[in-house]
Amino acid sequence: MKRIIAILVVLISLTTSKIVAQASACGDFHRKACYMEGTKKDKRQFMYNAQSKSGLFAQGSISKMRCIVYKGMDYRMTVCCETILGDKVNFKIYDGRTNELLFDNTKNDNSQQFEFQASTTRQLIIEATVPAGEVKEEKGKAETAACVGLLIENKVSERTGFSQY
Amino acid sequence: MKKIVITTLSAAALSSVFMLTSCGGGNKSDADNIGADSTKVDTTAATKSNQSSTEMSYQIPSPKEMFVFIKQVASKNNKRTDMLNSPDNAKNYTDAKTQALNFGIYSCDLTYCSIFEVGTDMLKYFKTVKQLGDAVGVSNSISPSTVKSLEKNMGNPDSLVEIADDLYFSSFESMQNSQQGNILALSVAGGYIEGLNIACSLVKYDKKNPAVERIADEKYTLDNIIDFMKKYESDASVKETIAKLEELRTTFNQVTEKQEGKVAVKEEKGAKVLGGGSELEMTEAQYKAITDKVTSIRNSFTGK
Repeated sequence: MKRIIAILVVLISLTTSKIVAQASACGDFHRKACYMEGTKKDKRQFMYNAQSKSGLFAQGSISKMRCIVYKGMDYRMTVCCETILGDKVNFKIYDGRTNELLFDNTKNDNSQQFEFQASTTRQLIIEATVPAGEVKEEKGKAETAACVGLLIENKVSERTGFSQY
Repeated sequence: MKKIVITTLSAAALSSVFMLTSCGGGNKSDADNIGADSTKVDTTAATKSNQSSTEMSYQIPSPKEMFVFIKQVASKNNKRTDMLNSPDNAKNYTDAKTQALNFGIYSCDLTYCSIFEVGTDMLKYFKTVKQLGDAVGVSNSISPSTVKSLEKNMGNPDSLVEIADDLYFSSFESMQNSQQGNILALSVAGGYIEGLNIACSLVKYDKKNPAVERIADEKYTLDNIIDFMKKYESDASVKETIAKLEELRTTFNQVTEKQEGKVAVKEEKGAKVLGGGSELEMTEAQYKAITDKVTSIRNSFTGK
C-alpha cells in the first residue's frame, strides 16, 4: 500500500510540475497571437485590457472567466489558439448575473472576434471551448493540449448625441 | 485538483485547464459565483450556461481603464499628486502584508502618473515599485532595461503608459506563475483601493457625471476581487483584507439599482450595443459613504 501511495505521490508531483511549466508557457500568448490582421490596420485607438488571459486547453475542454465591461466603453474581444488545435475556438458570452447567452460565435460565422459598445456596466462570463478533433503533435507539448488566448481591448466610446456625458 | 491523481496524459492536460484558470475561485459552482446584488445567488444560472463543473476565473480590470475614462470625461488637465502614497513611506513597509498591499498601491500610483502625465513623479514611483517589487519577489519582472526605457521615454506619454502597464501586468503575472497567490491577492486589493481613492479624490459628486457612475460601477470589480481573493483566504492577511473589502461591499450595496430592461445585444447604426439590465444610481450621501470607507481602508493599508 505504501508503495502505491509513493508511486502516486511521484506521479502527482511529476504531472503537476509539467502542468505548471505549461501554465507559464502560455503566459501572454494572447498578446503575441491574438492581434488579427485587420486589428493591426485598425486606426481606432483600442488599448490592451488587463482582463485578457491565456491558458492551456485540452481538446474538448471548457474554461470560463468572469470579467467586467463598463458603460461608455467600446470592447473588442478576440480568441485565438495554437494551430495544433485547429484554427477555431468556440466562444460564448453570457450575462454574469442572469446567465443569458449574449453572443455565440458558432452562430456568427465562427468569428473569432466580437466587438461591441457597452451601454451599461455588466459582469460577463466568457466561455471558451476547444472542439474535439484531430491534432498534430508538437515538440515539447502534450499532444492534446495547447495555448488558447483571449485578448480584450477597449477604448472610450465616441461621444454622440446630446445626452452622452 | 483531486483529479490529478489520474495519471494519463490527457487527464493531466484536462486538469491543467483548471489550474490555468488560476485566478479561479475554488470549488464554487457557477450559481455560487453569480454576483448579483452582489450577493444574491441566481440558482437557475447553471441550467443556462454550460452545466459542467468548469471552474470560474475572475478577471480584474487594471486601474488604467478607470483613469483613462475619468481623464477623458472629467479631469483632462489634472496633475494632482497629493492623494498618492508618498514614496517616502515605502521604508515603513517591512512585513510581507504591508509590502504586498503597498506594492499594489504604488503600482496604481505609477499607472496614475503615466495616464495623467505627471512625468516628474513617475520615476520616483517607478523606483518605489521596484524596491517593493524586490521585497515581494517580483524583481525579475522589473528589469534594468525597463528603467532605461522609462528614462528614455520621459517625454513620450503614450510610451510611459505602456511601460507602466507592462510593469503592472508582468509583476502580477509573475506572482501568479510563481504560486504567490496570497501576495497577488493583497497587491490586487491594494491597487483596487488606491484606484478608487484616487478616483474619489478627483471626481466631485454630480448625479449626471459619468465619472461618478463609473465609480459606482466599481462595485462589480469589487465583487470579482473578493471572489478571486477567497481562493487564498486560508492566509490570515488575505482573510483580514477580505473582511475590509466586505465592509466596502456593504456600503456599495446601498446604491440603488435601476432596471433598464432585458440584457441584450442590439444592432445600432451598424454597431453592436450591449445594453439593458440594471444601472446603479448613487446619491451624494452614498458617494460620501463610499469615499469615506475607501479612505479609511486605504489609510489602514498605508499606515497613515
